[in-house]
Amino acid sequence: MYRKQHIATVSVVMILIVAALAAAETTRKEMHFKVGRRANISIVNQYGPISVKPGVGKRVSVTATSYSGKVEIDQSKRGNRVSVVSHLLQGADADSGRVDYEVVVPMDANVTLHTATGPLHIEKLHGDLLLEGSTANVDVRDVSAGRVHVKTLNGPVTLTNVNDAYVEITSVSGDVSLHEVNGASVHVNSSSGKIHYDGEFGEGGQYSLTSHSGDIEAIAPSFASIEVVARSVQGRVDNDFILQPEHTSFVTRAGSAFAGTVGQAASSVNLLSFSGKIHLKKREQ
Amino acid sequence: MIERAKQGNAEAFEALYNLHKRRVYSLCLRMTANTAAAEDLTQEAFLQLFRKIGTFRGESAFSTWLHRMAVNVVLMQLRKKGLPVVPLEENIETEEESPRKELGGDDPRLAGSIDRMQLQRSIESLPPGYRMIFLLHDVEGYEHNEIAEMVGCSIGNSKSQLHKARMKLREILKTSRAEKATKP
Amino acid sequence: MTCEEFERVLPELGSNHSIEQEEHLKSCSACSDLVSDLNAISKQGRLLRASEEPSPWVWNSIEVALRQEGLIREQPGILRVHPARLSWKLRWLVPAAAAGLIFFGVLLHERGGIPAHEAKQESPVGVVTADLQAEGMPREDMQLLNSVAARTPSMRDAYEQNLRAVNAYIHDAEQSAHNDPNDEVAQQYLRNAYEQKAMVYEMALDRSLQ
Repeated sequence: MYRKQHIATVSVVMILIVAALAAAETTRKEMHFKVGRRANISIVNQYGPISVKPGVGKRVSVTATSYSGKVEIDQSKRGNRVSVVSHLLQGADADSGRVDYEVVVPMDANVTLHTATGPLHIEKLHGDLLLEGSTANVDVRDVSAGRVHVKTLNGPVTLTNVNDAYVEITSVSGDVSLHEVNGASVHVNSSSGKIHYDGEFGEGGQYSLTSHSGDIEAIAPSFASIEVVARSVQGRVDNDFILQPEHTSFVTRAGSAFAGTVGQAASSVNLLSFSGKIHLKKREQ
Repeated sequence: MIERAKQGNAEAFEALYNLHKRRVYSLCLRMTANTAAAEDLTQEAFLQLFRKIGTFRGESAFSTWLHRMAVNVVLMQLRKKGLPVVPLEENIETEEESPRKELGGDDPRLAGSIDRMQLQRSIESLPPGYRMIFLLHDVEGYEHNEIAEMVGCSIGNSKSQLHKARMKLREILKTSRAEKATKP
Repeated sequence: MTCEEFERVLPELGSNHSIEQEEHLKSCSACSDLVSDLNAISKQGRLLRASEEPSPWVWNSIEVALRQEGLIREQPGILRVHPARLSWKLRWLVPAAAAGLIFFGVLLHERGGIPAHEAKQESPVGVVTADLQAEGMPREDMQLLNSVAARTPSMRDAYEQNLRAVNAYIHDAEQSAHNDPNDEVAQQYLRNAYEQKAMVYEMALDRSLQ
């Protein structure tokens, strides 16, 4: 019994020492900038999450938490442009080089985020957004009236409630999910990542969901107003809608290609894959 | 490796390039503050080196020889642009370039509060002559005798220019810190 | 010793001070602060050393020039593929990747495709299908992966995996376009595939991420 107590005590002490050492290395840096209309904010952070939310007034606040001395936070402000960079020092890796960012910006700010591992999160902004992450999980929600441009190798991308926007997503093998995404132009280009769209294909926009081998699933309401073209060279193609035929040079082929219109055909929808499956589904009301 | 490069071995050239590219590029980048210009100068420095590699006899360290080429390439570029390079005489400097002497001032110390980015920006605003000496000595770690040989000045001049560069940087950093402190 | 006298000898001072200089530093906070500041600047300067790298095209240009000037001589008994054409492609592939490759796709569409026997010589993407080397990847891709491995070793595998996916896309898209040069959808696949490859290169060579 005495031995067990001794082991427990030593374990607790060891844990406390490790925690203290870890805490000693943790550094929190706060930066504040005054900006004008449509400021340009850029964060470059190889390792670690970046979260961007709107704030009140014309201020940008950046809180950066680092966990070792192997990374420095460099900041600069030139005119209406703010730049924050996590500068990795010799010997830094994904753990020691990690920095967590929490950023508050004006709603009309244009934001550019570059990362390798991320994750990246942006919400409730109206400006232009560029998110680039190699393997980062990308999450954009409640955004409107700007451009949303996402580039990723194999990080999953999720856009939710994005309206009145120009959306462009290029993903090699990361899955792309769009929920209630509508705009003048929505363009998704994937190699092997799956594409999932669940929305109205609204605003009389041009929607293009294309992949090499990733499956494409598009869910639209029965009242959707679309002119649709879908084709997969080697994969199966299914459609739940009754399409009005249209005069087009596009060659339809049962099971692998279809084309036609639904309702007033206000929006144009292209669903193209080389070897992935395509399914245009009707949402049950 | 140098002997194999002299015989025209492609891998040897590439290995020499990979071994030294960072230092050469870093020097060119800090002198020009422009990545495209720095890459052009890096390319030119290595090409000059490889063209003359047959004449290298080992009188100095290969890296010193290479960096002397790089410095020459950068200096030629500065001269083309009409920018002043390292003055050979001690007292050739303008009013603006000369750092103010601040004896007896009661500013708090800079030590412990120098931001890397701030220092980088401050270096960019140094006159090219001071900048070159500071980069070669404090950033790249060359000794004054090596710098004197590379740049073509005396050892005393190299030390003097370095001191003035550091004093100027101190002045810039303090001014920048004072400006930040007064901003709302 | 006065402050003026001290500052006069300061450029020559190393880490060893004379007794007189030490005494002055102990008694004069201004000169002591000055020395401390200058040392801090020097120390911080060292941290700026050589952290950036030039882009791969710099070496490619150097190599091309060395070969043209005859400074690189082929070693006897070693079979070597002339890299100049491939290096040229790598050099222009990166900075003009998106625009150049998409332009090629448009050109292909306007010309109604190219005959099969010309495809491999004219098409820069022909490098992907016709020029595969060891490990099944084109030389430019291997160079890119080496560049990624040199800067961020942990990302090399992710880039290799994604490059393979994109190369497969380009391969299928090329075949599709070749089979029916008038097929607009096939042209769209090709443009998309090129766009993917351009993006991978752009991300790999992005120096803002070290």
